[in-house]
Amino acid sequence: MRLLLTLLLTAASLHATTYYVTVTGLGGEPDYEQHFAMWAKDIEKAVKTSPDSKVETLVNATREQVRATLDGIAKQAKPQDAFVLMLIGHGSFDGYEYKINLPGPDLTASELATLLDRIPASRQLVVDMTSSSGGAIEFLRKPNRVVIAATKNGTEKNATIFARYWVEALGDPAADSDKNDVVSALEAFRFADKKTVAFYESQNRLATEHAVLEDTGKGEGVRAPSPENGEGMLAAQFPLLRIGATAMAAKDPAKLQLLAKKDELEQQIDKLKYEKAAIPPDEYKKQLGALLLKLAQTQEEIDK
Amino acid sequence: MRLRTILPAILCATAGLTGQTLAPTLAQAESLWKQHRYVESNDAFRALVAAHPRNAEYRVRWGRLFLERFNAPEASKLFNEALEIQPKRADALLGMALVAADGFEAQATHFARQALEADSHLVDAQELLARLALEDNNPAKAAEEAHKALAMSANATEAKAILATIDWLNDKPDTPWDPHEGAAYETAARIFVLNRRYEEGIKLFRKAIAAQPDLWSAHSQLGINLMRLGHEEEARTELELCYENQYRDAATVNTLRLMDSYKNFVTYKTDRTVLRLHKKEAELLHPYFEAEMLRALATYDKKYDFKLDRPVQVEVYPDHEDFAVRTMGMPGLGALGVTFGYVVAMDSPSGRPPGTFHWASTMWHEFSHVYVLNMTNFRVPRWFTEGLAVHEETAVSPEWGDRLDPHVIMAIKDKKLLPVAELDRGFVRPEYPTQVVVSYFEAGRMCDYIDREWGWPKLLAMIHDFAAGASTPEAIEKELGIKPEEFDRRFMAALTAETKKTVDGFDKWRDQLKEVAAEYKAHNYEDMIRDASAIRDTYPDYVETGNVYQFLADAYLAKGDKKIAIGQLERYAREGGRSPDTLKQLATLLEEAGNRKEAAEVLDRLNYIQPIDEDLHRRLGDLWLSLGNTAGAIREYQAVLAKAPTDPAASHFNLAKAYRTANRPDAAKDELLLSLESAPGFRPAQKMLLELSK
Repeated sequence: MRLLLTLLLTAASLHATTYYVTVTGLGGEPDYEQHFAMWAKDIEKAVKTSPDSKVETLVNATREQVRATLDGIAKQAKPQDAFVLMLIGHGSFDGYEYKINLPGPDLTASELATLLDRIPASRQLVVDMTSSSGGAIEFLRKPNRVVIAATKNGTEKNATIFARYWVEALGDPAADSDKNDVVSALEAFRFADKKTVAFYESQNRLATEHAVLEDTGKGEGVRAPSPENGEGMLAAQFPLLRIGATAMAAKDPAKLQLLAKKDELEQQIDKLKYEKAAIPPDEYKKQLGALLLKLAQTQEEIDK
Repeated sequence: MRLRTILPAILCATAGLTGQTLAPTLAQAESLWKQHRYVESNDAFRALVAAHPRNAEYRVRWGRLFLERFNAPEASKLFNEALEIQPKRADALLGMALVAADGFEAQATHFARQALEADSHLVDAQELLARLALEDNNPAKAAEEAHKALAMSANATEAKAILATIDWLNDKPDTPWDPHEGAAYETAARIFVLNRRYEEGIKLFRKAIAAQPDLWSAHSQLGINLMRLGHEEEARTELELCYENQYRDAATVNTLRLMDSYKNFVTYKTDRTVLRLHKKEAELLHPYFEAEMLRALATYDKKYDFKLDRPVQVEVYPDHEDFAVRTMGMPGLGALGVTFGYVVAMDSPSGRPPGTFHWASTMWHEFSHVYVLNMTNFRVPRWFTEGLAVHEETAVSPEWGDRLDPHVIMAIKDKKLLPVAELDRGFVRPEYPTQVVVSYFEAGRMCDYIDREWGWPKLLAMIHDFAAGASTPEAIEKELGIKPEEFDRRFMAALTAETKKTVDGFDKWRDQLKEVAAEYKAHNYEDMIRDASAIRDTYPDYVETGNVYQFLADAYLAKGDKKIAIGQLERYAREGGRSPDTLKQLATLLEEAGNRKEAAEVLDRLNYIQPIDEDLHRRLGDLWLSLGNTAGAIREYQAVLAKAPTDPAASHFNLAKAYRTANRPDAAKDELLLSLESAPGFRPAQKMLLELSK
């Protein structure tokens, strides 16, 4: 089911546009300014390679610039489009309201939510990588919108490192953990979160940020999205970045039958994996090996 | 698991009175104390002090209660308050001496002498002087002080204990000074433990308990030392007994907590090794640690010409606090590892900031102790066993051991190094904060010097001399043919010559390094290269943050001269640089320059420093696979998989490639299935599966 949906979404999204907006706020110190700008630049470089992308990068942006950019996209975007907003910088939370620190007046989470609601793109992803960003979730969450925050709540106020690894996720093929040539929002989240955790462990430092993901429109955000907690389904189907040729094959009508066969095999593999605990290990290995071999042969045919 | 608390909280200074309305008397407070009703006694003392704020005696007695009940900071505070009221109060000075003695502080002797000056009949202070001298490994002085105590009081049992301990340490069991008292046996036991003679210490703790069954401090120490030697069941029984009887000092409680945490550890055994690793890193560290343990044992078997009669156990703690529990109450121990006979406890590389800890160097250091302690039956001066262990660090590999650090340079400059016959003092009771570090360095260099001038057989012969009961002067005279004073003179001359350039140029180097750093920050690379090159060889051992090699490498890279940058970083590595980022930068540059073998060697060095690094293992695996070292590649790729990699599909695939190259197709296929199970559409894995299935 998951793979079929992904394929359909992938095919449907071939003719859609993905709008990427990256905003960096005030750094406060030269080191932060430099890093924020560098990360934004790296994001721009990575997402520009994705087909049908429209990219806006606002370094050290004012509130008015952010408003104008989002209003502009609200006028252009269509329901079948996707929209990705990435926020880098320092945030604050006073117990009631989250703000991203920008030159001049800050932008609050509720203002941002209003701006996002005006964008007709039916699939939206907001990645708030600032300190205290967890405080923005309750304002930004909405059905069909994935919200990722670098901190689990508004009280994690220290400068964050999550953005560094989010940028890496967009450039490292390892982030595409299922190797389908598409880095989904969920894959990027898991990659960046794992690297962030490893960073604090390697420095032998107490972690001061705990990234969370919310995509049900009603949750608080969770550290480990899974079917058990109901989070992550939308994020898994949100193609953040295409890095290979899978999408191109779907354009060739002659290969549609093979693609259908591939999809069926993938579903069988998924089903088998789901039943793993109930099957003796040798039998599982035998069945899995046979299915994987057939899948490899089918893929070979598709690639010809 | 039971929740454990540390008793000092019970004697919290903020505790209030329990409904008493009349100020109690000192006798009442003391009586409650004797009845082990500590909380009530504490309340009574508090009321007494509140009612008589200028009474120094009440504060001293209250302080002694705190000292007995594991709260030295509060005790010290009260003794100081008493001294403010009465500056030459002998019992308050004795209290300060006891607090300092518990912490192995050099001031202990000073306070004890002051106490005796204030009251020449204070036998407790005189007995303490005897104990302190023996702890400093000065038996002649200890005997002299003990006899003075006995002259003050024929019933000075602690003094008898010291005299008896001197005899027992010299393997004379039939001493005329047997104190026949539990607490006195406990004193003797503690001194045996300080001399690392744990088995004999344990026997004396048992004797103390037999003489006084409710001596909980002895029960606690018995438990801790049994645990140190790996007798965990009996250790737990003893410590539980203490806990149940309200003896809950930090050492008892923390040791019980540590033992509770053992369920989180995994044990690996071979014929010669027992390795205990925390579950969260066991699979990753196991191959590296076990291989190094076996390599060290094989090397030392030959080098020391001695065969250990049982496996060596290594415990690796990712939480430094857990490791610290193993060393509680021990003076002058290295902060990274400790040896108890056949048991070695050490930090895990994950418990230290990256680049600050060379775990393999620590392991070889501790294994040297295992040999020397067992060869001498634990009769070896501290300076010698530590010195030999430090010597071994660089004997394995020149860049392994610790470098000449600024504290040592200052100590050489200020002529603070100790004569060989007194060097133990630098480990047990340091007179300045960095003296332990300086003493490790000095002892290590002394052993280097003996090895260089007289040869390894002489060091080996000295081990046998110590085993036969020789003192440091006796061993030096016998094996080196010179008096200790002559040895000191020659050693200092050699050390001065070796370090002269650095020591003499240190102040100037420090000032110029600041200028270099400023030039670096301003991107003024031409001037920086000139100034940094001028000072680099004044202090070549400096490889810490802000070192000249890194500055120079960055500057040359900015100028586009990779070759010279590589040269600077190679020099950094040779001089013992350990920063994972810098070494990985060097590996990258070497790889870019086509020197894959050298790049792999640099990355492999990091396995001994910071092996908990997925990127390191993946890169090294790739390099080794490309260089035909399939066994190495397999190990590295397995290490990637040992700790939930970021990209499991690619990681299993890499291991499959290595197995395939090693002509192990079945293992390769297993890994391929794991790779494709994780990512069924992973093309390279699919391709290999098709090839293997033909």
